[in-house]
Amino acid sequence: MADVTFTVNGKSLQAPAGTLLIDACKRSGIEIPAFCYYEGLALQAACRMCLVEVEKAPKLLAGCTLPVAEGMVVHTESPAVVKARKTTLEFLLTNHPLDCPVCDKGGECELQDMVFRYGAGESRFTEIKHHVDEKQWSPVVYFDAPRCILCYRCVRICDEGLGVKALGVTNRGAYAEITPNKGDHLECDECGSCIDICPVGALTSGIYRYQTRPWEMEHVGTICTHCSNGCKTTLGVKNDQIIRGNNRDRSGINGEFLCVKGRYAFDFVGHAERLQSPLMRVDGKLVEVSWSKALAHVAQKFSEIKAAGGKFGVIGSEHTTNEENFYLQKFARQGLGTPHIDHRRSGDVPALLDAVSGKSGALATTADLYNAKAVLIIGSDLSQQHPFLAYQIRSDARHHQAKIFTVTEGPVREDKVAAKKVRAAAGEQLAAVMGLAEDLRAAGDLVVVFGDSIQGSAVGELVSFIDSLGVPAKYVCLVDYANSRGALDMGLAPHLGPGYHAAAQTGMSLSEMLADATLDALWVVGSNPLKSAKLASEKAFVVVQELFLTETAQRADVVLPAASAYEKSGTVTNVCGEAQRLRKAVSVMGAKADLDIFGLLARGMRLDLGQAAPDKVFEEIRTSVHGYNVPLPVIATGGAAMTAPVNGRLPAAAQPPAIQSARDSLFTSGSLGRYSKVLKTVLEAPGGLYKP
Amino acid sequence: MASKLGTVISSATEIAKGLGITLREMMQPALTEDYPDVAPSFQERYRGKHVLRRDENGLEKCVGCFLCAAACPVECIYIEAAENTELVRISGGERYAKVYNIDYSRCIFCGYCVEACPTDAITHGHGFELASYDVSTLIQRKEMMLEAAKPGAKAPVIAPVAAGGHH
Ligand code: SF4
Ligand code: SF4
Ligand code: SF4
Ligand code: SF4
Ligand code: SF4
Ligand code: FES
Repeated sequence: MADVTFTVNGKSLQAPAGTLLIDACKRSGIEIPAFCYYEGLALQAACRMCLVEVEKAPKLLAGCTLPVAEGMVVHTESPAVVKARKTTLEFLLTNHPLDCPVCDKGGECELQDMVFRYGAGESRFTEIKHHVDEKQWSPVVYFDAPRCILCYRCVRICDEGLGVKALGVTNRGAYAEITPNKGDHLECDECGSCIDICPVGALTSGIYRYQTRPWEMEHVGTICTHCSNGCKTTLGVKNDQIIRGNNRDRSGINGEFLCVKGRYAFDFVGHAERLQSPLMRVDGKLVEVSWSKALAHVAQKFSEIKAAGGKFGVIGSEHTTNEENFYLQKFARQGLGTPHIDHRRSGDVPALLDAVSGKSGALATTADLYNAKAVLIIGSDLSQQHPFLAYQIRSDARHHQAKIFTVTEGPVREDKVAAKKVRAAAGEQLAAVMGLAEDLRAAGDLVVVFGDSIQGSAVGELVSFIDSLGVPAKYVCLVDYANSRGALDMGLAPHLGPGYHAAAQTGMSLSEMLADATLDALWVVGSNPLKSAKLASEKAFVVVQELFLTETAQRADVVLPAASAYEKSGTVTNVCGEAQRLRKAVSVMGAKADLDIFGLLARGMRLDLGQAAPDKVFEEIRTSVHGYNVPLPVIATGGAAMTAPVNGRLPAAAQPPAIQSARDSLFTSGSLGRYSKVLKTVLEAPGGLYKP
Repeated sequence: MASKLGTVISSATEIAKGLGITLREMMQPALTEDYPDVAPSFQERYRGKHVLRRDENGLEKCVGCFLCAAACPVECIYIEAAENTELVRISGGERYAKVYNIDYSRCIFCGYCVEACPTDAITHGHGFELASYDVSTLIQRKEMMLEAAKPGAKAPVIAPVAAGGHH
């Protein structure tokens, strides 16, 4: 829209017509204080904090709902405005308990800040305050009504942002209160967004409550280790303990969005069953031994098996860093001389990369999901399995009126904003998509998001069908965990090396390794394949690097306690291919980062695989893996850099690999979720069976 | 000659004056104190070792707000907070200080913590005998600073917590 010229405090400003005064002022560095106004959410105009004086208007006007107009003359600091703000704050404080010393929000409370800056020094209110007891709505959400300033931010973020609509308002006037959807409790995503967005301490978190104060913590921005969406979570750390997670500074691809896992499920770190010492099988039983003994034993056994020409199988992880994955495949292929390396597969990324070979910009970023004109979702319940991608798509529909198409087995939350929804069994989804040809062509500028129902040759068919529509299209192939994508990019596949180059020799896939009765050694790093399968080889010497004594670790001959993603540095690559940096938040007793373990084993076996330090290995990745030559400053400053792993045809696998998503829900996270007390209590609470 | 005599007289007068003051002061009660034989007395606002106060019900006044620690210029106050529950109620507010340490090897007795406290929980007492040969003993725990509950005050509710709670 054309720019209009207006005057604020005697300064002539310009902004596109229709811009809200509060936004236009903010861009020019003029602050209009606000509580209820929140960028990206519907306008509410409930708090009256943003009143400004507009010449020729009979009364003060709310800056948060006022579009700028040509010739408008505004005063934001006139005596009338200053007085109005003082009065508004005094009014907000009439029934406010002033609990600041015990209030969790103290120190980062918007009401405190506003009163400090704009408020009156004294209160004239001497009447008895209306007290309401605090309520617990769910394992993570508590509500203290007297502190609420009725800004409706929580109501709007839950409805508009999450699509859950779990909060509303009951009663009127001084007795108005925020109320959960089930009267006395919440049945919702338990995402904590309402707590985070609350400008005051009315909504507090069951995990963080009364633990400490904001200024007492160190705030470490790192990447969530649960699903593949790669949200940035800022961990509040004190005494080597993670106390809370949020992303209040909105840095990172996810802005302030976090689901229950990124915000609360860091508690597996301190779980009582966390392995703190290496275990070695002695007389059939796993007993605790020292690191030096365990490492020496593994190095010796590996060397013996290698010298005897034995058969090694190596299974990598979907949670470990790119550096670790890269080093592990190098260890396997060069160090142990085995081609048998794989990891659990949850999406057919190689097939997609092959199908879009020769195209540029065919892979969507998480930002593309927010900006596309249309999004086609195939075979995934995104709100459950990929909460951040779902949030992006919902925001796209809300802010850009994007057309959403869902082709899924059952109903999904995205149906609510969908232009068309189609129910189809996994095998029929491709055909169902083809039935949407006309709608898709009309919508234009498309992002296609597909899950494991489209794999193998179906991926190529899908891409050529979309090509035939003649509209620009980008793709996201869904994978499960924090670094599932990075595991493939780094070459944890039997026929693919780093950067999807053909491996020198094609090895066995994960299921083939498990089924091979002649396997001499199995090395499992951060994965739990024996949860659902059996290891055929009885003689195999099994080494497992894990956080917990999983089913796989129980079969191991040596278990090496590994550090989690929150305890190490490195990079991970999210579902869209955006590489981001992990920052070490805490140190734990006993465990070592997988990369350190690899380095020590390599030394023990006298292998020359290069220095096992994250920065060194990342440098090697940058120079040797196609598409990972990402700008270092972006990564180093906590940004996300898109990787373009390959542009060309990919070697075909000997056999199509078994690809299946774990289909985690919002409240589960593979083996890791079992060790999160928060996820467990949320599941067991009333509403745990809630089906969004 | 007269001048010599005059000098003698004026000197004698001066000495008599001086001794007169001495004599007068000798009759006054002594200002110095006989520490360590007799316990010293303090001005009421003397800033000695801290005392953590209790309220009239015997509950700890400290609500674990960390403001004293934030105000302390030498960062010698260490606090870990926890939540009061129905079974374990330590303070009057929602939160209490599970751990409250002051490191007297660093405290400069400035009184900022006392100023900062919103509940008057931390005060300066008159304790001053803090010298030690072992610097580690200069870190005092909450129990060492907490005043005793007044006779008749209800004791804080402390019920045994089921083991293995956390994690
Ligand atoms: S909400 Fe803010 S102003 Fe109110 S008690 Fe809490 S910290 Fe104080
Ligand atoms: S926790 Fe999330 S889903 Fe639940 S009420 Fe709050 S915003 Fe809504
Ligand atoms: S609970 Fe917080 S976010 Fe919700 S209306 Fe009250 S003050 Fe606003
Ligand atoms: S959406 Fe995924 S990456 Fe983001 S916070 Fe949730 S689990 Fe973590
Ligand atoms: S008296 Fe001063 S130095 Fe000592 S604990 Fe209090 S604030 Fe710190
Ligand atoms: S910010 Fe304008 S009325 Fe609340």
